[in-house]
Amino acid sequence: MALAAIKPIVRRHAEIGIVLIAVLLVVVFALSSEGRWANAYNIGTILQVTATLGLMTLGVALVIASGEIDISVGSTFGIGALVYLWLALRVDPALAALAALTAGGLIGAVNGWLVTRTGTPSLIVTLGTLMIFRGIAIALTSGFAFSIPYKDRTGISYRLLGGGEILGLNTSVIWLVLMLVVLGAMLRLMPWGNRLLAVGGSSDSALSRGVRVDRVKFSAFVFCGTLAALGGVLEAGKLGSADGSMGRLMELQAIAACVLGGCLLAGGRISLIGALTGAFVLSSIQSYLVVMSVRPQWFMVLLGLIVVAAALGDRSLRQWALRR
Amino acid sequence: MTQKPPLISVRNLNLYFGAFHALRDVSVDFHAGEMVGLVGDNGAGKTTLIRVLCGIHAPSSGEVYFDGRKVDTFHPKNAIDQGIETIQQSVGLCDNLSIARNFYLGREPVRRILGIPLLDFARMREMSTRVIRQFGLRDNVSADDDVERLSGGERQSIKIGRAVEFKNRVVIMDEPTNHLSVREREHVNELARQLRDQGLLVIYITHDIFQVHRLADRIVIMENGQKIEDTTTDRMSAEDLEAVIRHGGRVVEKAEA
Amino acid sequence: MTTTQRLVRGPGFGALIGVAAMLTAFTLIDSAGWWSVRTIANVVQFTSILGFLAMGQALVILSKEIDLSVGSVYGLTGVAFVTLQPDLGVPGAMLAALSIALACGLIQGLVVVRGGLPSMIVTLGGLFAFRGIIYVWTGGSVRNFPEEARVHSLTRLMGGELFGIEAAVFWMLGTLAVLTLVLNATRFGNRLLATGGNAESALSRGVRTDRVRVSVFALSALLAGCAGILTLADRPQTHVTIGELMELESIAAAVIGGCLLAGGRGSLWGAVLGAFIITGFRYELIALGAPSSWFITFVGLVLIFAVVVNQKLARMAGQSV
Repeated sequence: MALAAIKPIVRRHAEIGIVLIAVLLVVVFALSSEGRWANAYNIGTILQVTATLGLMTLGVALVIASGEIDISVGSTFGIGALVYLWLALRVDPALAALAALTAGGLIGAVNGWLVTRTGTPSLIVTLGTLMIFRGIAIALTSGFAFSIPYKDRTGISYRLLGGGEILGLNTSVIWLVLMLVVLGAMLRLMPWGNRLLAVGGSSDSALSRGVRVDRVKFSAFVFCGTLAALGGVLEAGKLGSADGSMGRLMELQAIAACVLGGCLLAGGRISLIGALTGAFVLSSIQSYLVVMSVRPQWFMVLLGLIVVAAALGDRSLRQWALRR
Repeated sequence: MTQKPPLISVRNLNLYFGAFHALRDVSVDFHAGEMVGLVGDNGAGKTTLIRVLCGIHAPSSGEVYFDGRKVDTFHPKNAIDQGIETIQQSVGLCDNLSIARNFYLGREPVRRILGIPLLDFARMREMSTRVIRQFGLRDNVSADDDVERLSGGERQSIKIGRAVEFKNRVVIMDEPTNHLSVREREHVNELARQLRDQGLLVIYITHDIFQVHRLADRIVIMENGQKIEDTTTDRMSAEDLEAVIRHGGRVVEKAEA
Repeated sequence: MTTTQRLVRGPGFGALIGVAAMLTAFTLIDSAGWWSVRTIANVVQFTSILGFLAMGQALVILSKEIDLSVGSVYGLTGVAFVTLQPDLGVPGAMLAALSIALACGLIQGLVVVRGGLPSMIVTLGGLFAFRGIIYVWTGGSVRNFPEEARVHSLTRLMGGELFGIEAAVFWMLGTLAVLTLVLNATRFGNRLLATGGNAESALSRGVRTDRVRVSVFALSALLAGCAGILTLADRPQTHVTIGELMELESIAAAVIGGCLLAGGRGSLWGAVLGAFIITGFRYELIALGAPSSWFITFVGLVLIFAVVVNQKLARMAGQSV
């Protein structure tokens, strides 16, 4: 009976499953690690990792909501980080970050343009750009050094862009919260949010109501590229250096986080909070394996199993909620 | 007709899609050698009912008997093996395959070469070419052409031709005359009649009560997932039946009260 | 339609043009380097190995699914073959490794079909999980065949040479012939194409589309496994990154070869030609002294270019894609 009362809540809130999993994991991890996992330093690290992965995840969630997919974000993340580091040595970090975001936005625009103009499946297009920009990133780093000397890792804008902490939290977490609020408001309160979901749910119907489907999809790709680059900037700011493999396989984690968070791959359903919780769960598991000195290789196996289990669990939970 | 046991017997069938109650306690019998018109508005449950009969949906509760035996597993393969052929509105042909390949999809004839079962293209071509000509498709259409090139009427002709060619016991036609010209429509209705005369059970689904009243022996009306009327065409006129549909069964309830 | 028309309108024609263009370009740029026995032998051998993965991927794409796990399955099978050899001997290890590949495919296929999940997610999970198993199993170490395993007749059969040509080439051509026959002239092939073209219609004709899809995933994994065995029999040394990115190369090869992601249309020989194009460029880029990372960029460019051109070709042929 109590279960029956939950059904409408599950039906309306896609993220309920992942939030439950997150709470459960936090409890289990905290109890089973004798304080090695649940301490301020480790939680801070997890939140920093969640923030950079989370920004990418937010972007991917937008694209998935529009019924497409973007797997190029890992490379966009890397390019964003490299552009930022290269310029931050020469100009103010704020300008460098702006340039990096522009680069990310441009990659998103290329994706969006190819998908909407040629009608090519986004999986293939972004698979292509994933490889193109990964190759470029590796080629760039094999010739130049992308690292900021320790003495230069100061200045307010550098610290605000992932290079410093406020109240013990890496500044990237603040960027994440900011983006979450902005995007959440855009989805809820602006016509754009309504149209994005309509395009993902049924692009034909959206088109018939005069929605410019192509533009909406294009904008989702641009947002996604920009957010991934922002994640890269913040990660680069935190590390102070980057190599060509930066962000590799992160596209898969971001997609996994979205699926975990209740975003429907077919489009039309989005939960930003859920996707972020998914990113948090993934970084928590990774950190748990590290602090428990489990071989980190297990993370890959687990990640694979979690992706499939989450998708299965999400599907059965929704089916259960939809049943009478 | 009642002296023979029914060929298909549906007993207290219920079907849910999630929370949606698509079929509500439907019981109906169908006999060999009769043509039954299944009528109702859009969303009344006619298509859902026949999708159970042809094995696409499994019922949530209730039984289906075919030829006196209870049906346990619902799959289109089983239905087709039993001789239940369905002509559906939008499905049945794969655009990317040739007419010949579509014609035999699911029961392709094979010829063994060195013990390896390979498709018997000669037979597939011969039979489908005959049907294409019989149904008056354009002369430049060959059995090797992709179905993609065909018009809506031509596609319907292929599906019906396929149903006629294979030795079946039941032919279910779901809105078979949609998208057809007047001449093609007459041809389809004539074929339906011939099938019935050969002793097959024909279930003819439509929302046009006047058209099916001229054809069918019996009319079953559905509304809201329920069967609300089941009568022979000589007992009720098309106008009366139309009134039943228009009032969504409420007239009947009043008459019974 | 004449045979020529059929070829021009059929899938794979784009890849044929691509091969011609590539060969012309390489002849003009670097005739001596490209047309050397050494280069051609290497290119043809790796085309054969990537060709196995590409054929599997083509079958999966034909049934309107996608398999992102082939690179990991390829690596896992190869690692299993070498790692199990001391305990099981060469034939036993080969059998066990192929069974592992088959199991990978069957599990993924069953989860896709039974769980009703998109194959992209399931095989993405497979990509991680199988790669992770490689890491955990080998612990990052490099393993080798002992001398007696290298000279074992089965190892030679898979990795040796015949008339100076690598055995892998013959295996690939044989498999291509068999699979093309299966696809075009058997019930299974007809049903596979129908499932990819219009699953609902196929189902309504009594095709057990679930079984078709599970078999396709099993077949894809098995082909990836065969490629792994052929590679390791030739160069019996495992490293954890073996097969990384090969899922992307196989998709690129299948798409270059004319497989449409909308399902139901494509060709296996086209996919093999696609693998040839990709491998050819890899070698030529290295030969011309470009950093190896440009190869990744190049595959990405070719992938996008090929998919756009193939769609144009398909639309010109009057198909709705």
